[in-house]
Amino acid sequence: MGRYLKLLWIQLRSSMLLALQYRWDFLVDGAISLFSAVAAVAPLYVVFHNRDSIAGWTAPEALLVSGWFILLDAIIDGAISPSLNSVVDHIRQGTLDFVLLKPADAQFLVSTARFQPWKLTNGIGALAVFIYSFRQMGRTPELLGAFTSVGLLGISTVLLYSLWILTVSAAFYVVKMDNLSYLFTSIFDAARWPATVFKGVVRVIFTFVIPLALMTTYPAQALLGRLEGTTVLFSLVGTAAFAAFARVVWLRSIAKYTSASG
Amino acid sequence: MISVRGLAKHYKVHKRAPGLRAALRSVFSRTYDTVKAVDGISFEIKSGERVGFLGPNGAGKTTTLKVLAGLLHPSEGEVVVDGHTPKKREDAYLKKIMLVTGQKQQLLWDLPPSETFELNRAIYEVPRAQFKQTVDELAQTLELGDLISKPTRQLSLGERMKCELAAALIHRPRVLFMDEPTIGLDVSMQATIRNFIKQYNERHGATLMLTSHYMDDVVALCPRVIVIDKGALSYDGGLEDLVHRIRPEKRVVFYLQREAERAVLDGLGKVVSANHASAVLQVPQEAVSETISRALATLPVKDLTVENAPLEEVMSELFERSRRAAAPASTGNGKAP
Amino acid sequence: MSLRTTARALPTMAKIGFAEAVAYRAEMLVWMLSTTMPLVMLSLWSAVAKDAPVGRFGQAEFTTYYLLMFIVRQLTGAWAAWQMNHEVRTGALSQRLLRPISPIASYAMENLAALPLRSMVAVPMAAIALFVVGPSTLAPGKFWALVPLALAGGWTITFLFNIAIGALSLYTESSLKIMEIYFTLFAVFSGYLIPVELFPGWLHGAVEWLPFRFQVGLPVELVTNAHSWDEALRLVGIQWAWVVAMAVGTGLLWKNGLKRYAAYGG
Repeated sequence: MGRYLKLLWIQLRSSMLLALQYRWDFLVDGAISLFSAVAAVAPLYVVFHNRDSIAGWTAPEALLVSGWFILLDAIIDGAISPSLNSVVDHIRQGTLDFVLLKPADAQFLVSTARFQPWKLTNGIGALAVFIYSFRQMGRTPELLGAFTSVGLLGISTVLLYSLWILTVSAAFYVVKMDNLSYLFTSIFDAARWPATVFKGVVRVIFTFVIPLALMTTYPAQALLGRLEGTTVLFSLVGTAAFAAFARVVWLRSIAKYTSASG
Repeated sequence: MISVRGLAKHYKVHKRAPGLRAALRSVFSRTYDTVKAVDGISFEIKSGERVGFLGPNGAGKTTTLKVLAGLLHPSEGEVVVDGHTPKKREDAYLKKIMLVTGQKQQLLWDLPPSETFELNRAIYEVPRAQFKQTVDELAQTLELGDLISKPTRQLSLGERMKCELAAALIHRPRVLFMDEPTIGLDVSMQATIRNFIKQYNERHGATLMLTSHYMDDVVALCPRVIVIDKGALSYDGGLEDLVHRIRPEKRVVFYLQREAERAVLDGLGKVVSANHASAVLQVPQEAVSETISRALATLPVKDLTVENAPLEEVMSELFERSRRAAAPASTGNGKAP
Repeated sequence: MSLRTTARALPTMAKIGFAEAVAYRAEMLVWMLSTTMPLVMLSLWSAVAKDAPVGRFGQAEFTTYYLLMFIVRQLTGAWAAWQMNHEVRTGALSQRLLRPISPIASYAMENLAALPLRSMVAVPMAAIALFVVGPSTLAPGKFWALVPLALAGGWTITFLFNIAIGALSLYTESSLKIMEIYFTLFAVFSGYLIPVELFPGWLHGAVEWLPFRFQVGLPVELVTNAHSWDEALRLVGIQWAWVVAMAVGTGLLWKNGLKRYAAYGG
């Protein structure tokens, strides 16, 4: 365990070194995060310009969901996707062999290969959205709800990570998958809306297949004090099962892996 | 054919000390170094010549080749290839040349090489008949067989390199720049590629400039070598002359019936190596025949050969000498915010 | 390379581009899945419009709009920015530059060559769905005559955006970040997520002055009765003015970028 913590630190450190080399990224990322926070809200603005509430969500409440969306987006871009994108590169160039040769868990190694620390600036945008939305509502979050939502943040991170591992595993089976991350972010984009707004098939998909509801809607509901305890419990169990499933798929993909360099 | 006068290529690179703290500091202030990758070299190459371009890692070989191919603009100096200025990248020029690198490929990764050939035919506007003839010729001499109809990703490194070469020659370039074309290949594949390059040069009179770490490539292909070190020219002339200049001694290898006494060997010349079956002596050129006749009288010789010193040794000796001769490396130092 | 010789090489390039697209069909499926956002938005707006229409849009109008948007997106796709970024990073751009044909022409052919395969799946699917919804929400015939022109203009703007962003990777390491910004702007202001006519006042004003709505919004608007005939003609005119302006700007960016590439090496 200690060894893995040490490895994690070394990988984090080299990512930080890399990040510092591209110093303008700090400003650029800051600007992008501010910009995307505003942009994330624009569609919301248009929809609520036409209606006061949709499926039981008022504008500030829905804004809360957008806040979680921005936060999770920062986590994906900063901690999850950079590493896993490099796996796709490895597979294409046949250099994954070098990773597999190392005497440590391959999933751990590839998952911690790269971070983008500057992306953390996006978190500030999320915080601003939370504050604004509660001021609009003229209230403060429930204390218990706030704790629950932080717990849910952890759960969603694990869930997102597992989804990523599953997506990357697909790259072992098909030749060229450069835009896997693009697919992921474009589907994840739907998470900026409260999941209960959707109807029919789309809703079923976003609750059970790609559980976007858990990631942004539940934490927002928790902050509003509207989330039931059983939902939290189900989320926890579901996520654990999902993570285990992703691990199994990963191991099987690795076993099937044949180097592209032949 | 190729004329290079006072070519220089300088880069500005960000200098960074190791460690997190230094990295943090570099966010606010940066120091830059000017690296003189190539620093004033001149040479002329005639049409149809095969020239080896040698030097240690980082000597500026690849940079020079890239300048010649028009991919890099020179910082100083004048480069003319067959009447063209490479950096203008005129179509007429690009159709005459090709740059082949062992490490980068142009073949479409997930399609068979034949598709890349076809693509190059269209791009280089090779007439159908000539295209067919060229492909047949290439397929025959390189023994491509059905390789050209398998997806590139399924080929081995050597097979890929053969197809890569074929793709590079579809338009029958008159000037070939080759950067480490045999890197990573096994010995027999290296020989195949080498023979092929020589054949191509002889058949089409193409001019060839080649860098390689494998001295066998150079010995087999290049009667003339240009050696650069730290961006400056350190030798330009015949390969034979180079060897004679650096290592005038010859190597005489005696194959023995039984082990010879060390004292006897020492009496004949400088012993490079000796064991129960053979002995290698290094002797001045003018003393070769005398040494041999003395050895035949005193040693149980079965057979013998006379060789030059291996080129690897010659090269490392040359680089060593120029290192000793050169003043401490002169790289400019500039500061920028 | 002269225009004539480029034109002669085009069919072969298109053919091989198509073969490549077939080799990457799995990737194409992924790409198509990632352009399903209009369908998600359809689900959302259907919920909103269930009780009363939003502006001109009832459930049927939303359905038509988003299905058409899905089709138009398939037909105007380009991804040269990613290619260029990758090739600049790995130095593969050098290989392209060695060839006596403009890299921009080869990117264009590679991007265009994938369109038939993309539309082969998407278009019939969406066309059937459109047929089920009914033609009552569609514009009269003469508007359809403008569609090819508007689609060509839309593709060209999208492609030029890609080339411009790709060329930026010759100046800065982080041109994919600019891609992110572009993409956010595109999603909001193009009509991709929300029909631009639903935008309230000042946002609608912004749309008028930005190129994004001409990429995918305009072709869809033309056939969904969004504009009068005169207005339609005016908008197509503006679209092509954007094409020309962007072609000039992108050309400059690319030319100067190449000089830098030649100065610093690939």
